[in-house]
Amino acid sequence: MKYLIMCKSLTNAERAALLLERRGFSASVVKAPQSLRENGCGYALSLYRRLGEAVRLLQNNRLLTGKIYRRGEDGSYEEADARDLS
Amino acid sequence: MIYLDNAATSLVKPAEVGREMLRAMQTCASPGRGGHRAAMRASELVFRCREKAAALFHVPEPENVVFTMNATHALNIAVNSLVSPGMRVLISGYEHNAVTRPLKKAGAEILTACSPLFDEEACLHAFGEQIDRAGLVVCTMVSNVFGFILPIHRIAALCRDRHIPLIVDASQAAGTLDVDFAGLGAAFLAMPGHKGLFGPQGTGLLLCEESGIPLIAGGSGSDSILQEMPDYLPDRHEAGTHNVPGIAGLLAGMTYVEQRTPAAILEEERALLRCAADGLSDVKGVELFCGPQETQSGVLSFRMRGMDCDEAARRLSEQGICLRSGLHCAPLAHRSAETLETGTIRASFSPFLTREEILRFCAAVREMSCGMR
Repeated sequence: MKYLIMCKSLTNAERAALLLERRGFSASVVKAPQSLRENGCGYALSLYRRLGEAVRLLQNNRLLTGKIYRRGEDGSYEEADARDLS
Repeated sequence: MIYLDNAATSLVKPAEVGREMLRAMQTCASPGRGGHRAAMRASELVFRCREKAAALFHVPEPENVVFTMNATHALNIAVNSLVSPGMRVLISGYEHNAVTRPLKKAGAEILTACSPLFDEEACLHAFGEQIDRAGLVVCTMVSNVFGFILPIHRIAALCRDRHIPLIVDASQAAGTLDVDFAGLGAAFLAMPGHKGLFGPQGTGLLLCEESGIPLIAGGSGSDSILQEMPDYLPDRHEAGTHNVPGIAGLLAGMTYVEQRTPAAILEEERALLRCAADGLSDVKGVELFCGPQETQSGVLSFRMRGMDCDEAARRLSEQGICLRSGLHCAPLAHRSAETLETGTIRASFSPFLTREEILRFCAAVREMSCGMR
């Protein structure tokens, strides 16, 4: 399953990606889909596994700044819920 | 050529600087402007440079490091953010026009803490006498003309005790002195990338404690629907395409400084300064501006009795010796040192200079002095 963690800024995204990478996560910075951005262009973190752990790590380092989405098989996005974070 | 104009810009750089710039030109696109590989490579590089600067200058968050064109650009953002017309702003007697002109443009009422050269206590006393009348303090860490190291930590403490914001100009300090942004508690701190940090021209940094007011507006690659600049750093002050090759060079330059350490570079420059001062001390007609070692960085000003400083610099230039003469864009510093009428000749050092080159420079000055008689 692919997840997107929306980021406040590109710098925030780079910082979060670096932290995750240093802790053994596989996450990359991607351009966020326009449909998920209220104010236009922005960036997100793309992650396939260990979402709950990643989110907790980002929260603990004050780097979680946006919503989290789950990508469906049809390419649509839904906000992630407790099951995704467990 | 013997290059002694490092306070204007460092000409000799670590070899990695040029290499990394070329690599960036060939592989990096515009950060924050796309999701493709070349754009993301640029984003990563820019972030690494931001992170390096945050670590080197004790900035708690890399977001608070803003890339600018030079220190003047950075100072203009800072002044534009904090000064309103009629505001009383206290400055040292050693400020560059990069500080005084933006203040004048913003309509500030400028108060000057005048003090004699190389006298830390007098400098601090001058600030203490006037600080309670000021709404803002702007102070350089090192005079670009004389290398006088101002007691910035004690001046910052005066500001913190009174909750008066402080803007620091670290143009001549970055790369040789400990620039501790968090420790100073400054609102903003500005520096060039192309002097002591050995980056290329066209690079500078503004360290921000607060978000400030943008000086220019435009595309930031973020929140594009909004017609105001983003309210968060660093995007708020980074409109338009970044100087990615410049930032790549700056990162390489800062890595060099970090590895050598600013303290070691300062020690090396001071040794070269002492060598020059010793070599010139008995040259007839030469007046040197030297202070106690701990109060002077790697910048040495001098005058030659009976010779215009620009003429002296011109003659030395014909022998391949690069010096700066005149007022160095800092008439206030010359007024403080009582050299406004003549200006000075400035030799500014770098760790890429050798003792042999300094001795050749001294010999050339000596020979010129003999020719004057």
